[in-house]
Amino acid sequence: MRTFVKLLSLAIIAAFVLGAVATFPAKTHAQSERTITIGFTASQTGKYNVESTRQINGINLWIEQINGAGGITLSNGTVLKFETKFYDDESSTDRVQELYTRLVTQDGADFLISPYSSGLTDASALIAEQYGVVMLTAGAASDSTYQKGFTLVYQTYTPASRYLTGAVDLLAATDPDASRIAIVHENDKFSTDVANALNSYAEDLGYEIVLFEGYDSGTTDFAPFINKIEAADPDAILGGGHFQDGSTFARQLYEKDAGANMIALLVAPPEPTFAELGDAALGVVGPSQWEPLAQIDASKAEELGIEFYGPSSQEFTAAYMEMYDEEPSYHAAGGYMAGLLIQKAIEDADSTDTDDVAEALDNLDILTFFGRNSFDTSDDNHGLQVGHSMMYVQWQADGDELVKQIVFPFEAASAETVYPIGSE
Amino acid sequence: MTTQGTDAKPQNELLNTLLDNFKIWTKKLSHPGLWITIVGVFILGYLPIADQSPEAAFANATARESTFTILMSIVLVSSLNILLGYTGYVSFGHIVFYGLGGYVGLYTIIEHQWPLWKAMAAGGAAAGVLALVLGSAILRLRGAYFALATIGINEAMRAFVSNYDPFGGAVGLSIHFRVYRETYGSYQDAFLVMYKAMLGLAIAAVVLSYLVKSSKFGLGLMAIREDEDASDIMGVIPYRSKIIAYMLSAILPGMVGVVFFFKASTIEPAAAFKLHTSIEWLVMIMLGGFGTIMGPVLGAYGYQNLRTILLTSEFFKNIQLAVAGLMLLGIILFIPAGLIGWLRRHISFTRRVLT
Repeated sequence: MRTFVKLLSLAIIAAFVLGAVATFPAKTHAQSERTITIGFTASQTGKYNVESTRQINGINLWIEQINGAGGITLSNGTVLKFETKFYDDESSTDRVQELYTRLVTQDGADFLISPYSSGLTDASALIAEQYGVVMLTAGAASDSTYQKGFTLVYQTYTPASRYLTGAVDLLAATDPDASRIAIVHENDKFSTDVANALNSYAEDLGYEIVLFEGYDSGTTDFAPFINKIEAADPDAILGGGHFQDGSTFARQLYEKDAGANMIALLVAPPEPTFAELGDAALGVVGPSQWEPLAQIDASKAEELGIEFYGPSSQEFTAAYMEMYDEEPSYHAAGGYMAGLLIQKAIEDADSTDTDDVAEALDNLDILTFFGRNSFDTSDDNHGLQVGHSMMYVQWQADGDELVKQIVFPFEAASAETVYPIGSE
Repeated sequence: MTTQGTDAKPQNELLNTLLDNFKIWTKKLSHPGLWITIVGVFILGYLPIADQSPEAAFANATARESTFTILMSIVLVSSLNILLGYTGYVSFGHIVFYGLGGYVGLYTIIEHQWPLWKAMAAGGAAAGVLALVLGSAILRLRGAYFALATIGINEAMRAFVSNYDPFGGAVGLSIHFRVYRETYGSYQDAFLVMYKAMLGLAIAAVVLSYLVKSSKFGLGLMAIREDEDASDIMGVIPYRSKIIAYMLSAILPGMVGVVFFFKASTIEPAAAFKLHTSIEWLVMIMLGGFGTIMGPVLGAYGYQNLRTILLTSEFFKNIQLAVAGLMLLGIILFIPAGLIGWLRRHISFTRRVLT
């Protein structure tokens, strides 16, 4: 026993010493290497792990495809291959700056992709700016990140202010008599930003907001909110937050039969695993950055008079399903898209230099399988996504199966909206 | 003449007591343990910023970041140790002071353009006042009841801030990038200022915990830890002492909150009042040895380094939480007195040096 305790303490002391050694950096990345490192942190543990895992899948698929196609060849003959380097940020701000600093100064990351949430992205974007590295954000939807004066941060997704506004348009188009909206949202930065923008948009259109409530991020019992919803008697319930709370909210709305005609929730419904809720998922609408069913290809780009770049929607979906044996969600597509934007910008710039690539991104206006992409270049909103817009999905019954259909915008719709919910 | 004679005697006595006190304190302050710790913390903090050339600054950037995390933990854990280690009161929700300090500090920086040091003072003061008010209410509770109350306070504060508009509600507060450039030249320079501030706070935390421990007041706290009722009879006023200890353990964490969230440029309720982090502080204290000066410092250093290794190693990064958990379980099971406690017990020489 005594010896064991001694051995154990020796091991711990050794761990301390190792730690001290590891604190001091290894040699930085060699300049002659033409492998481009894409650095990012992901929330492998913590509350965003579902969304984050999909995003990594998307990035890895892009890496595999670009390297499989022989990389990018610059005009001076240099061939660029790509690799990723990432760490777990545990969905927490505590170490995210440290990890991004490590990615840039030790792992030699040439480009960065943001962490999943807006708060983590705000902190890590400072590191990108400090060291002059371009950062593509995927998942950091809050508009405020792009109003902080950053010059190298570019947004892949449609910003929070336009996340749920389409659901109001959908409601207006489907049911002109609807007038009462309840907004119940997760009390965090992203969802509150969405809810505030939604609130003013709906009020401008003449809707009455009969309930505007935030719930705590870890909420598992929505009964108090559902009681308030029932008392307020809305035509539509809009809101939600992230995957875990959104799924629970949808299930409890169904179990308690809250009685609105339309339910539209953030983030959770577009994830394929949302179907595991069974009947509770039926009829739920959700905003999606992208859907496998969306028909986006070169012909659409011709109509818009802009360039089409990268795979078509079908090609992406097929490749993703072959690699991961599941249908891609928009988080997966977003990860892939962040890589594709880096690829396109390097090609346009014919360089990997930060200033050149940033300039190429500033001038970018393309259509990809993910939708249109271009960035705000004003000082006040630099990097904000202005080209892309949301689609809205609804889970509908197809015999015994649940299928996710695009219901809005109507020109991209794959099915009619089921309204009121449960009328099918 | 007579008046002079009667006056002279008390003056001498006063002088003598002062002299005695001075001797006692110089003896106390010359304890090798204190100086080893101060010098150790200083060297740890100084190494990554010693060479200011751009190349060295780039090469040492990661070391600076990890050391910043360690220094931060040293302040937080040493402060908590005053309450947990000396007084024996477990505060699970101690992060409330860090979060509140961060909020008050960022608020003054954004709304009133206060410089960092002033914001730190404001954050520390806010944490101190909160501790005074809360302490008056909950320090009449003992043991598990107190520990549970501290969790409740943290959750209540989070819920309050989430709905308090001047603090940005659920969206939180965010600093514009130009603030760093306009005030400090660049984010790098701003970070250097924050880093030095954190180093200063770490040394202050070590000195403070030593001063408390070696004072009569500290002796009273330890008497409360061993037997609160007996200490009461012996002349310690437990309620008052506990409130002072609670305040002392809250002020520096409040200041740390300001520096950390100024560095992150953003604060949200979920990040500011994260209960999980509070528990990590307890683990660091247990690891190093509670109730000692060096224990929390070593615990913070060891724990944060271990986390860095696990987070960044190719092999461990996917299972880092499980490994950390197992190691901690082992430590609690086999060396419950922590590293310092174990060394003091088993190697007699260390008793004179380690404190």
